[in-house]
Amino acid sequence: MRTVKVSAIWRNERLGLSMIAASLLVIVLIVGLLFTYQQKSETDHIRQQGVSLVRVLSSIPYQQMLPGASRSDVLSLLQHSQANRLFAYLAVVDPQGDPVNEVTAPGVIAPSAAVPSAPSSWLGERTLVADGDGQSFLEFHAPLLAAGSLAGYVRLGYFRPGIGLHSEQLPFLATLALPIFLLTPLFYFLIKHEIRPLRCANEKLDTLIEQGDFARCEISANGGFADFVHRFNQFIDFTRNRIAQLESEQASLFTSAKLLSYRRDRVETVLLSLPDAVVVLDESGAACMANGRVSTLLGIDQDAILGKKPGEWCDIPDVIEFLGNYEGKSVRGCQSESVDFVPPDAPEKTLNVSAYPLFAPRDGAQILGTLVAFRDTTAEHLARRSSENFVAHVAHELKTPLNVLAMYSEALHGEDGQTEAFRVEATNVIHDEVERMSMLINNILSITKIEMGSLNVQRQRVKLHDLLKDAFETVARSGRSEDLDFQLDLPRDISAVSVDKDLLRIAINNLLTNAIKYNRPGGSVELVAEEYDDTVRIIVRDTGIGIAPEDRDKIFKKFYRSDKEAVRNKSGHGLGLALAREIIQLHHGTLSANSVPDQGTEFVIELSKNADLLKQAV
Amino acid sequence: MKRILMVEDEAHIVRLMTMALERAGYAVDSAGNGVEALEYLQGQHPDVMITDIDMPRMTGQELCMQLNAELPERDFLIVVVTARTEVEHREWSRMIPNLEFLEKPVSMRKLVSRLDEHFADTAVSGD
Repeated sequence: MRTVKVSAIWRNERLGLSMIAASLLVIVLIVGLLFTYQQKSETDHIRQQGVSLVRVLSSIPYQQMLPGASRSDVLSLLQHSQANRLFAYLAVVDPQGDPVNEVTAPGVIAPSAAVPSAPSSWLGERTLVADGDGQSFLEFHAPLLAAGSLAGYVRLGYFRPGIGLHSEQLPFLATLALPIFLLTPLFYFLIKHEIRPLRCANEKLDTLIEQGDFARCEISANGGFADFVHRFNQFIDFTRNRIAQLESEQASLFTSAKLLSYRRDRVETVLLSLPDAVVVLDESGAACMANGRVSTLLGIDQDAILGKKPGEWCDIPDVIEFLGNYEGKSVRGCQSESVDFVPPDAPEKTLNVSAYPLFAPRDGAQILGTLVAFRDTTAEHLARRSSENFVAHVAHELKTPLNVLAMYSEALHGEDGQTEAFRVEATNVIHDEVERMSMLINNILSITKIEMGSLNVQRQRVKLHDLLKDAFETVARSGRSEDLDFQLDLPRDISAVSVDKDLLRIAINNLLTNAIKYNRPGGSVELVAEEYDDTVRIIVRDTGIGIAPEDRDKIFKKFYRSDKEAVRNKSGHGLGLALAREIIQLHHGTLSANSVPDQGTEFVIELSKNADLLKQAV
Repeated sequence: MKRILMVEDEAHIVRLMTMALERAGYAVDSAGNGVEALEYLQGQHPDVMITDIDMPRMTGQELCMQLNAELPERDFLIVVVTARTEVEHREWSRMIPNLEFLEKPVSMRKLVSRLDEHFADTAVSGD
């Protein structure tokens, strides 16, 4: 935390600190230059002074330079005249360099050094270093002559000017440094003032970045930065719009991807949940997708077939050959086809395989693969066979009476027709056969309508007593049954039921006709109605040949007739009971048979009294 | 007198055919179904057997197949007369030699003339 604070301060104040450092450096530089200049100037000054002075002294006779030669010693005079603070010593030495006379600044010992003896070097300057404290001197020397010959030398030494601060220089330096130093805060505050908008903008950006709220990024400034900030804001606007556009595009892409994913999932789900077994073959003919029905319908593991060709996962030659037609086929030769086959392990079944070429949606000339659908068509086959059987039965049942009619009419034309007895017989047979055909046709129409669902059941409240009594008496009067005993047991107050009276009458009529047809001579036919809380029961009872146990499950099937001779001896087409049951079931009732062979049969119709009420309530 | 076995369960047809064939000079025996016909054939062979297909206990088809298997040397003609005209009946009937297929309703006059023709042919070839 402390480090962060320090670095923040450094970051914020580094400009000021740098300026202070720079100004101090400038001051130091200026002072340094001043000192250097001063040293050089002083050196030049003492050199000038020293050279001229030793020249003057050299012209003074040697004797006058000796101590006590005059009242006023020249050297002492000169020493006193030297206002120069750098003056160190003035000495007269003999040619050997031994001092003859000297004057020095306080505390200074003139270094002993022989003057070069060569005449060319008599006049000159040199730098000497004191033996003790290492003080450096700039010395000028010149020969002293006496009577034209060398009598000695005069040596004038000055302290070598150094770089140093003198107390008298302090005010000057302070006066020089102060304005320079004062310029620093002035510039500092000027710069600070100028960059304040930038800093504010920077701080605002920091805050916005920390908050992550780029949408509200709008900074303001005036002065010299206004233009820059305006452009910066424009840039931010552009960036923001671009980001919004990209976000919108991304959202759109995301939505598209989701939609595509959803559609793909939906297609897959549809394929996987189809009732048919579906396999998709790719361009090379290998399976690339299969649904779960493949395993239940064909007994093949749906995952195991992926990437394999039909020959590798199917053991039915017909199917392999059929699918082989689609392998690598051109568009022209490719069309949807289907073929039926019988699986070897389930010969009772019939399956159908269809192949549909998958044309590319945008390029009809390209085939992406083949969709193969397997369907269990056993039920359809059975239905078709049943339908074919039904038609064959109908044709046969119609042709049988027609055959009789044709033969009798042909016989009537011939010799047999000449006798009265044959003509009567023929007329009766023709009448019976026409009636039989008519009833057959009516029954076929009714049963077909019921099975097709096109029969319009017109329910109405019907007095069961009247309906049953009328039907019973009509049949009893039909004239075929003079030797039978007819018994009717109907409660007069039996409840009315909601039924289609025409249909119910057909059912009752068929049961009563059978009861008469398959009765024994002198037997009885009984029609009974019983009422219970919720149901009405109608019973048709006879004392006829009965129904063999093996026939009981089959008597309600269309066109079923027992092989029993007693049955075969009676004309019939095996539709009466089938139709009766269909009619009763249309009324949500039941029709059942109880029988003892050679003793009789009773057919029981049970109708719910409330079925219609329930139906209305629903 | 040529003997004809008629296998037919419809009483009216038995009566009319018997009348017509007898008038044409044939002796007629009848059986109500395939089982009765086989019983008859145990004792004697007719010159022609006329049979229906739809019959109780044993159908005409079963009767013909069984005869074809049991009597490969059968020498009498079988005439199948039926209202059943499906292709499959035609197919099995074609597999049995010396068998003719007539469709109901059949004219007795045509049947008699066909029989006369048949016996005339066999008389020629027999001679």
